[in-house]
Amino acid sequence: MSTNLFTEPLSRRGLLKAGAASAVLAGLTGCSSNSASPSGPKTLNVAVFTDQASANKLTKAAGTFEAAHPGVKVKFTGTTGTDWNDFFSKLLTQIAAGNAPDIAAVATEGLQLFAAKELAEPLDDYVKRDASELKSYFADVHPALVEAMMYQGHLYELPSDFNAGNMFYSTSLLSSVGVERPADNWTKDDFYDIARKVSAKGNNVVGWNWVVRLWGSWTSWMYANGGNLLTEGKYDGGDWLWNTFYPNDPAAAGRKGGWQWGDPTANSTPVVEALDFMIQLQKEGLSPTPDVGGGGTLQGLFASNKIGMAIGGGFWAGGLHNAGMAPGSFDVQYFPKWKSQRHLFGAGGYGILKSSKNKDLAWEFLKTLVTPKNMDLLSPGNVTTFPRKSMMTAQRYASTGPKNWQVFYDTLTKFDDTAPIPAPPYYNAMAIALNKRTTQAMSTGDAKSALDGLQSDLESAAKTS
Amino acid sequence: MQPARSRARREALFGYAMIALSLVVVFVFTAAPIVGSFVLALFKWDAISSPQFIGLDNFEALLQDKTITHSLLVTAGLAVMIVFLQVALGLWLALLVARRASAIVRNLFRAAFFLPMLASAASISIVMTYVFNDHFGVINYYLGALHLPTVPWLSSAGGATATIVLVAVWQQLGFTFILFVAALGSLPQDVLEAAQIDGASSARLFRQIKLPLISPTVLFACTVGLINTMQLFDQPYVMTKGGPGEATYTTVLVVYQTAFQNLQFGYASAMSVLLFAVLLVITAVQFTVSRKWVFYS
Repeated sequence: MSTNLFTEPLSRRGLLKAGAASAVLAGLTGCSSNSASPSGPKTLNVAVFTDQASANKLTKAAGTFEAAHPGVKVKFTGTTGTDWNDFFSKLLTQIAAGNAPDIAAVATEGLQLFAAKELAEPLDDYVKRDASELKSYFADVHPALVEAMMYQGHLYELPSDFNAGNMFYSTSLLSSVGVERPADNWTKDDFYDIARKVSAKGNNVVGWNWVVRLWGSWTSWMYANGGNLLTEGKYDGGDWLWNTFYPNDPAAAGRKGGWQWGDPTANSTPVVEALDFMIQLQKEGLSPTPDVGGGGTLQGLFASNKIGMAIGGGFWAGGLHNAGMAPGSFDVQYFPKWKSQRHLFGAGGYGILKSSKNKDLAWEFLKTLVTPKNMDLLSPGNVTTFPRKSMMTAQRYASTGPKNWQVFYDTLTKFDDTAPIPAPPYYNAMAIALNKRTTQAMSTGDAKSALDGLQSDLESAAKTS
Repeated sequence: MQPARSRARREALFGYAMIALSLVVVFVFTAAPIVGSFVLALFKWDAISSPQFIGLDNFEALLQDKTITHSLLVTAGLAVMIVFLQVALGLWLALLVARRASAIVRNLFRAAFFLPMLASAASISIVMTYVFNDHFGVINYYLGALHLPTVPWLSSAGGATATIVLVAVWQQLGFTFILFVAALGSLPQDVLEAAQIDGASSARLFRQIKLPLISPTVLFACTVGLINTMQLFDQPYVMTKGGPGEATYTTVLVVYQTAFQNLQFGYASAMSVLLFAVLLVITAVQFTVSRKWVFYS
């Protein structure tokens, strides 16, 4: 016997039945979205900081792994954002909603955030177990990059890429003011002189441009001037790693269990001087007002040959090539010397989430991601710097440039004080404060007041975290 | 009597069944989150660890928080400017269109002014970021071409505030415009004609006849406008990130960053409760004051 909803009145029993049916249906729908038969295929979910179209291309890097592990699929899910903090906030929300991936791409910016919140799994036991298998990898990777992936003595990621803050320049603009190439040990004064000459050309050409963010911003000047936003220290531990993989490597001397970021020093003299220098350059018309964000716009402007110099890392080579710049139209040099020629860098890698039910499988996959073949598949077209020195070859940069591509990796070997960006567990709050106070300084022309504010913001963030 | 009561009950049940889905949606997506915010404001929670009950500590911390106080002032300033311009311009344009245009032109203007409202605020803001860019924006390009000084639209406190106001007004103007077109169109013609026969000038006609008659619409536009703009988020988030400094750091932007970037969901909820209280007070004041100037015929 059927009832017609629109012609016959609904009884209380009918209403209850309908409600119960809806609830069951809703429950089934909810279950079906996340269900997987225990005997069915396993899926390794990998969260990456990119758009979905690019994420789909990364599945090529999973081919060998999937072939070796029948019944296992690797799914890359892309998430976009203006910068790493934007990506992390979305990823953290996803984790909080109970939809955590097995593996996540987490750069230096977020390593301590994920480790401190106990979201990431330390890799120590896996690395110790597979030490012989990993010897060739570590032998090829600079210890500074490995140390940047450690927190409180534990290793959380295997570096899969990195970028040091070097100085890119337009060969034609510098050549037009009589500079063929700045010297390796060029200084802040040399930089200023070139920026002044290039800006004097007019027609919207500026000597220098930059973006407001933690990596490759005015913070590079801060490092060169001997300053930092936070007190630098190192966690104890990590001897097991250094003794196993870098026993006689002088570059590993003094390496410990990861960078320990202490009390804020954002309004210290070297930091104020660095930001003051940016204000001076803007006031003198040698640089425009900087944008906030990841730097895509800056690359576009640089490619239009309106900028003499800009901070960039290895990822700029592919970026500028893709933006239409021919090899030879741009080149790269070390960052200029101020009090020192200390550079900053950021490293990228993949971490296993503690909540993953497939940690062992995830580890097997991580190992495959740091093979040269898969690194090539993950980052095609020189859109990053590879951590394996053996992969840095002239042939690789022949089609994109720059001519002096060795600068990218040699930054680590030539300047042994090169250090990662200061990214404590409260990185997200720090990024917001840094952007806010930098734009304040650039709009008011008062670096000291802005950095006093940043100091206060960081103290508050450190306390809250 | 019995069959009639039973029938009435069945009809009532049918009615409840019809609105059940809407009620569920309202409960799940509106009522429950509101109640949840009030409850969450009493906890310290980073969305990953277990929530920790801390009583009124979040509200105590709010009293010391200069950022939230500053953001409320910034938001209130922006809201006043945006609502004033939206109402004034919307009314002015509606008067112009109602007075001089033919039906076709009137409809054309309605569509033209309403069109920006159909686009998302986020996508409009992205486009406007390029339009107002200091270095390569189209506005500064033409100012430069005319040998006029360029304006630091997004990099100075005044410029960023003005830009946010301009974009918000431009996008929302269609709403007030449509409201006033409808209100002016429904004015009693006999009253207007009587005033005109008595020799009332256009200005006097507007001030003493039209404005009092459409005053409920003005109140509605002001109230809804103020509630919306006190929640301003998209434009400052996309165009200025709240900067330069804290010049356009609106309250909802602070709430968003506190919750989703700093993972302080309890504290962010306390901020939301504060904003709710502020909006409640503002709306109550608006309605109280409106008794003196709003005319309900």
